[in-house]
Amino acid sequence: MIELVDLTKKFKQMYAVKNLNMFIERGEIVGLLGPNGAGKSTAISMLSSLVEPTSGDVRFENNSILKKPAPFRKVVGMVPQNIALYTDLTAEENLLFFGRIYRLHGKELERKVDEVLEQIGLTDRRKDVVKKFSGGMQRRLNIGVAMLHDPEVLIMDEPTVGIDPQSRNYILETVKRLNEDRNMTVLYTSHYMEEVEFLCDRIYIMDKGNLIASGTKDEIKQILSSEKTISITMERLNDEFVEVLKQNPQVNRVTTGEKEVTILVPRDANVFSEIIRLAESTGIELNSVDNKTPTLEDVFLHLTGRALRD
Amino acid sequence: MIWHIIKKQGLLFWRNKQQLILLIALPIILIAILGAALGSGFDNESSPIKMKVAFIEQVEEQDQIEQFLTDLQEQVPSGVVDEIKSNIDMMAPITNIKAVLESEEVKEFLEITYMDPSEKSVIVDDESYTAIVEVPEGFSYDVLESMVFNNVISPTLLITYNEEQQVGTSIVSSFFTQFQEQLTLGTFLGEKGIDLSAIDYQEVNGEVISINEQKPVSASAYYTIGMTVMNVLFLAGAVGYYAYYEKEINVFNRIIMANISRWVYFSGVLASGTIFAFIQSLIIFGFSWLVYGIRFPDILDFLVVTVAYSFAIGGLAVLLSALNYRLNSETITNFFMNIIATLLAVLGGSFYPIGDFSSLFQTLGNMTPNGAGLTAYLTLLRGEGIAGISDNLMYLVIFALMTVVVAALCFPKRGVSA
Ligand SMILES: Nc1ncnc2c1ncn2[C@@H]1O[C@H](COP(=O)(O)OP(=O)(O)O)[C@@H](O)[C@H]1O
Ligand SMILES: [Mg+2]
Repeated sequence: MIELVDLTKKFKQMYAVKNLNMFIERGEIVGLLGPNGAGKSTAISMLSSLVEPTSGDVRFENNSILKKPAPFRKVVGMVPQNIALYTDLTAEENLLFFGRIYRLHGKELERKVDEVLEQIGLTDRRKDVVKKFSGGMQRRLNIGVAMLHDPEVLIMDEPTVGIDPQSRNYILETVKRLNEDRNMTVLYTSHYMEEVEFLCDRIYIMDKGNLIASGTKDEIKQILSSEKTISITMERLNDEFVEVLKQNPQVNRVTTGEKEVTILVPRDANVFSEIIRLAESTGIELNSVDNKTPTLEDVFLHLTGRALRD
Repeated sequence: MIWHIIKKQGLLFWRNKQQLILLIALPIILIAILGAALGSGFDNESSPIKMKVAFIEQVEEQDQIEQFLTDLQEQVPSGVVDEIKSNIDMMAPITNIKAVLESEEVKEFLEITYMDPSEKSVIVDDESYTAIVEVPEGFSYDVLESMVFNNVISPTLLITYNEEQQVGTSIVSSFFTQFQEQLTLGTFLGEKGIDLSAIDYQEVNGEVISINEQKPVSASAYYTIGMTVMNVLFLAGAVGYYAYYEKEINVFNRIIMANISRWVYFSGVLASGTIFAFIQSLIIFGFSWLVYGIRFPDILDFLVVTVAYSFAIGGLAVLLSALNYRLNSETITNFFMNIIATLLAVLGGSFYPIGDFSSLFQTLGNMTPNGAGLTAYLTLLRGEGIAGISDNLMYLVIFALMTVVVAALCFPKRGVSA
């Protein structure tokens, strides 16, 4: 349905997106995962014909949208990364304005506004001005506005940034429902791997403008087939312990949390006794040592050597 | 579609009370303050700008007239002398000047004190006098002679101005200059309906404004106009801010994604600027009409000027918006709001009739949209019709068209210039 071909965007000397190749089939939820500054928003802007690519092409039903964006725009609902709403207007006024922009009017417009308010759970707050809304409610309305014209494709740019877990779940459930009930195609951008893992059939992972992995969840996790992740928790972490772990020839990578250390080791290595020995020698009081199932976070760590979030 | 954009803009103004206060309440307050500072209240019957003028006659006019008639008998047939004699009251220049000075309209802003020549030295030292008018010896005789015989000599009134009072000086000066012009050109007689075969009128060059027609403008009226045209400039800036804000928060992208042409959006900004400038002007003028009784003689003419000025403001709004989009920042609008608008206001005469100082200032002032608007409104208020302000109207329309064209050229493709 949608295809990105060698899509590239250069800002001065810097590649924000470099030779990105992607495809999205009808009815799929596709995830675009990457840390801040990976180039996700830039890719999405080019995909929705708002920013002209430096090179490459975006194709919708085999036609380039660069020359003729209108047919594509008609079927796309775009949820921008920031709150693209008039915060001085009420939820209803926002929906009415954007609905009219989408050439809806009269009874049809009213019906659509009611329906969307219901979907995003803001029916009882319709008469309130948006700036009085919580972050989560604003996010929901931000999504609602993109659904007024019954789009076939929903492009969402980090729709859950900075909101409470409840609103976040509500949004994730809504997206899932839209996909299941209406066969809506979704491109979901995020730097939260749990969200992408929960929602998406297929995933693209970007870093520094480059595509570093792609495929179904399982395919991507296969990248880690040669390694396993071990999580060690303790009362109090010290630098010495981290240092000896790093120096151990079996340990490939070490990341530290407050009371936790995560290490990557070869799949067949037996390191439990070794860990206990190292802990004793450096005066660490262990709480647990677990063999973790790999997450997308681990994949990202494996591929880039950095955590997805800072 | 454009209509929805305008409606939305109206709603945004309405919700943003602080902005509404700045755009509507502030000018009204400024009118009150400036009017009160200069005038003695807002009673529009008496002009708050009042100037004291001393009037000194060297020789009684009656003596000179008798002398003139005696001398005349030796030069022209007695029939003509008789006719002049019967009309002499209307020809006597000082009598006529006094009649005008005593008229209601002039008394509103000129306070005349008649003095003996011996008192002149006292008046010169009195700061409260704006001007001293001296009628030289033989003035009336000379005037009559130049009327009847069409002499080239032009009798002159001696006027000494108080340099401290610049505004008053310029008003009194232009008043007497016009008066004198009319006198020497013979139109004064024409005004009075005298037709003497012996009198050969000189060709009247240019427009001579009759004094009685030119009503003085009160301080409250002046500042109503000055503050309105100035504050409407800020509306252009406000619309520019909104447009940039729409780009900043990606609302503009939403509009583009809805397959609305950027030119529709562009026209929406232009129309919003024009319509809300029009409404803002009507509210402020309406207020000063209700409260200060300032009203324009011809409502239709007033509306024509308001539409033309609002159109220029719409052009300015869309130009500021386009520059914001092009430069990807609101610096230009900030600069306009903080510096340019004030500069335009000063130059356009919103705070002070600086055009009275020199014709250069007047010309410069009329080349600002607000200055052209101000001049047009003032001229209407003085009782002139549309014909008297065609230059200002033309300028406003040309200004509007130019800003729209420049804005269209600046407005970036896709609304993004990165
Ligand atoms: N208009 C722009 N001009 C210059 N650099 C930009 C612009 N937009 C984005 N960038 C840069 O491109 C890179 C990718 O940004 P972005 O696409 O917003 O990343 P993400 O959405 O994944 O966080 C960042 O380094 C960002 O600073
Ligand atoms: Mg982004």
